[in-house]
Amino acid sequence: MKKWFAAGLLILSVGYTLYGLGTLTLVTSSGRPAAGFFPLLIGVLMMISCAVNLWGDWREELAQRRSGTLPPHQADPEAEAKADALGVDAHGIDGGMDYSRDVLIVFLYICGFVAIMKPVGAFLAMVLFMLAFLFTFNRAHVVSNLIYSVALPGFLYGLFKVLLNASLPTSPFGF
Amino acid sequence: MLAEIASNLSLGLSVAASPEGFLFLVIGAFLGMIVGLFPGFGPAAGIAVLIPMTFGLQPTIAIIMLAGIYYGSMYGGTITSILINTPGESATVASTIDGYPLAQKGRAGPALVMQAIASFFGGTVGVVLITALAPSLANFAASFGPSEYFLIIAVGLLMLTTMMGDNKFKGFISALIGFAVGTVGVDVMSGQQRFTFGSPELIGGVYFVAVAIGLFGIGELLHCVFKGQHRQPAKRLRISFRDKEFWPSKEDYYQSRWTFWRGSGIGFIAGVLPGSGATLGSIIGYSVEKKVAKDPEKFGKGEMRGLVAPEAANNAASAGAMVPLLSLGIPGSGATAVLLGAFLMWGLQPGPLLIVNDPEFVWGLIASMYLGNMILIAMSIFAIPLFVKFLDVPYVNVVPVIVLLCIIGAFAINASIIETWILVVSGLIGFAMKRYGYSPAATVLALVLGSMAEETFLQSYIISQGTMSLFWERPVSLVLFIVLLSIVVLPLVLTLLNRSKNAREGVSNGA
Repeated sequence: MKKWFAAGLLILSVGYTLYGLGTLTLVTSSGRPAAGFFPLLIGVLMMISCAVNLWGDWREELAQRRSGTLPPHQADPEAEAKADALGVDAHGIDGGMDYSRDVLIVFLYICGFVAIMKPVGAFLAMVLFMLAFLFTFNRAHVVSNLIYSVALPGFLYGLFKVLLNASLPTSPFGF
Repeated sequence: MLAEIASNLSLGLSVAASPEGFLFLVIGAFLGMIVGLFPGFGPAAGIAVLIPMTFGLQPTIAIIMLAGIYYGSMYGGTITSILINTPGESATVASTIDGYPLAQKGRAGPALVMQAIASFFGGTVGVVLITALAPSLANFAASFGPSEYFLIIAVGLLMLTTMMGDNKFKGFISALIGFAVGTVGVDVMSGQQRFTFGSPELIGGVYFVAVAIGLFGIGELLHCVFKGQHRQPAKRLRISFRDKEFWPSKEDYYQSRWTFWRGSGIGFIAGVLPGSGATLGSIIGYSVEKKVAKDPEKFGKGEMRGLVAPEAANNAASAGAMVPLLSLGIPGSGATAVLLGAFLMWGLQPGPLLIVNDPEFVWGLIASMYLGNMILIAMSIFAIPLFVKFLDVPYVNVVPVIVLLCIIGAFAINASIIETWILVVSGLIGFAMKRYGYSPAATVLALVLGSMAEETFLQSYIISQGTMSLFWERPVSLVLFIVLLSIVVLPLVLTLLNRSKNAREGVSNGA
């Protein structure tokens, strides 16, 4: 997936640059940089660096396939890379299996939550999200799930709607 | 000079120590400790997610609370580093190296107390230095022109990305993504719409808070789910400050007496330098302490100095990072970029004039950091059993809290469903970035600074009539330009030298 993400970034950077070139003015009639100048600069830099990045990720994958070893996934690649750069072994946070399927489920639930927020109102959308989430990942605790699924949305709805006077979508029932 | 500082601080204290200021400072510090406790959920995410909760507050009080979350998380993050070998956030990675072995030796109590004292020491030294340096730097920066500002932004971003080891390139790309997203909306110079695709919602640009909450909040949450944190049972730990073994020994204090100072000094410098921040500060603090120790072999096996150094450093760094933020309006890390976004949201214009135009705000914030550190050391020592109890809450119950806060918070800002979708998409991108070694912090930093970078770059270009000579004609610009070139060229030269050295060794071994 790493190389596909890198490929996606390259495609986006090409699209960004071409769209910018097609729709924006680069230089004014007086020869000064116009609205498209900076985006073009960013776009070109992005295309070059994304292409090099994709090449690197591709080669890495090929090398892994040849050697048959998979790198351990990193809990915090940025922090670990910084630690490694300074010769400190950021031990103890690597390893373990991953849960890609759960990520997909949680992400779909989040999308569903946002999609139904306007039609059913924020409170009901929160309750439905929590019920779906908790009964997927915490099935054993039925009663506490039910209480939690109403209590937390109730608290947050009260906090934002009543105390902070924020504008939240309301259901046809008025909440 | 001292009289001026004293009068400014008393002005600041009148804001920070007001009942409202104090209350929200305590709330911020408390929330910061909790944010720090949950692994994978750093201060940037904490601040971003909790920004919407500050809507009803005055700007100064809101920022005092958000800043409390920022440095409070440095205190909280170490608790899990020591007790369960899992850093609460990246700045406490180095604290696991000796913190956890100390806990394994049955010295969790002394380790927790010493980390609290080191954090307080580093934080307080940092704030004293901010008090002394921020006004002077603001005065100095008042003479900066567009070329200096552009170069500071470029140096900051390059430093942030080049410190990413093998992931340098990905860090650079992350920053470019931030700049690209920052170009969406109306161009301030010409009024032309850019990348809006005809959508009226995008004319004002992509709202930074939604992107920051998505990248840091949802992105980090999905990454924690990916690691299976939601499937792990709660860690049932018990610790009591009434135990005799809870307190550090005299030897612990005596051995660490210089470590406090070294860690604080190193951390503060790392914090002030744009792009490095608390994570790097704590790692350098640890490395230096190990290097200067007469008994380096003890490090990594439960050495108190190995815990004190990174703790003093990361707290001093979090204070140091406030210097460029307050005096130049330029953040050096993801967390301070989110804080800058909050400044802008509240109508505060960061930069050298902030200290002149809004002294109550700047000095209120600085004074709140003195008070905040005092509150946090008390909380860190006497409320440790309480915070440890938070670890009893299984992560599966924490996930919905974060999701609900992110979604409802993002929607509540402008009542915009498009912005809420931007948050969701940013969350997915943030997860992928974290998973594949990119830097969401660099993206947010570039997004926040994008318009400033573009404006100052174009001004420099126009003033120098397209020759860009402004970048090396002025003394400060020249220094920054040399630093910039060194950051780009030096690693390349070192790589080439290493390669040729390895090649030579290969030849001689072969012979």
